Amino acid sequence: MANSSHSDGPDPEREARDRSRSLAERIAGARRETMVAEASAEFRQREMTGMGRAFRFAAEFVAAIIVGAGIGYGIDLLLGTRPWAMIVLLLLGFAAGVLNVMRAAAEMNADVSVGTASSSQVLDDDDD
Amino acid sequence: MSEKAIEPIHQFNIVKYFTFGNFGGNGSEGSGMEIAFTNSALFMLLTLLAASAFLILSTRGRGLVPGRMQLMAEMVYEFVANMVRSSAGTEGMRFFPFVFTLFMFILVANFFGMVPYFFTVTSHIIVTAALAVLVFLVVVIYGFMRNGAKFLKLFVPPGIPWFIIWLVVPIEIISFLSRPLSHSLRLWGNMLAGHIVLKVFGGMVVALLGAGAWGVVAILPFGMAVALTGLEFLVAALQAFVFAVLTCVYLNDAIHPGH
Repeated sequence: MANSSHSDGPDPEREARDRSRSLAERIAGARRETMVAEASAEFRQREMTGMGRAFRFAAEFVAAIIVGAGIGYGIDLLLGTRPWAMIVLLLLGFAAGVLNVMRAAAEMNADVSVGTASSSQVLDDDDD
Repeated sequence: MSEKAIEPIHQFNIVKYFTFGNFGGNGSEGSGMEIAFTNSALFMLLTLLAASAFLILSTRGRGLVPGRMQLMAEMVYEFVANMVRSSAGTEGMRFFPFVFTLFMFILVANFFGMVPYFFTVTSHIIVTAALAVLVFLVVVIYGFMRNGAKFLKLFVPPGIPWFIIWLVVPIEIISFLSRPLSHSLRLWGNMLAGHIVLKVFGGMVVALLGAGAWGVVAILPFGMAVALTGLEFLVAALQAFVFAVLTCVYLNDAIHPGH
């Protein structure tokens, strides 16, 4: 009797254990995914605060001007054309700064819609 | 009453613990490069050890049903993986170890900075600039390796008439070269500003408490310092996230330069 229950037919106890274990595993996975999705959404939203945006725009704008002026200064030193290359590249740096800010703004606008779309997509995503 | 001035930037001082020697230079005072083990180096090492210990110890159990620590480690993994996938596509996943390492390093370094008397590694622009330049070099080298000369298409937006293009290309190049700067400026600026403001409010509490009857007013900056501490924890995590997201965005350009 004991022997036959061991060999033939699935052991109901073990099967139940396996099932509850895979269920727990899936619950843990799903919980993890929702927590991750919530955290991402929260972070993206926080980045949208006035302070965060202001800092981003300022950094993008100033960085391009500094780089433009720096390259111009370097060219002037090399070619002895002071101050013309610096003037021209400073102006180009301003243009690049405006371009950077416009791109950053476009990215932020895209993030708002993508952020919500991708978080719902993560929830739908079963397994990958 | 003590006359010891409260210096909000004293916390960023570099202290040399021991030196490995002086390299290069002509032997005169101040020439060459002294390589020393500083408090900054110590905290970078501690950051590395803490991040590694957290990930190794928490995943050691390898439970199919994760415990609390393992769940945290898996969440961080999944968080970064989602970020890479959504910003740089599935192909970007080959850079996952790189982005994950950067994210963990900055996150742990920022959180270490919140512990009193600890040094904030990321409050020095040389550290954040080194990280940003590393990302920049990875983007440029991988971009050329993968796309060859097609990588230069990044500087030539499509649909521009020929008489404008000679103006647009230099602008695009400057814009591209400014990336490591703005990338490092944001992390550095946020960490530096936050820590200075915290110190200023903390210093106000001390100064007011030392001023006799006016000590009652010290409750105001104290409340501010408490609120700012909470905010700084958020900023610490947020800036690590922002740095990693920007890394992914830049890597995406290396993978798909034509957009």
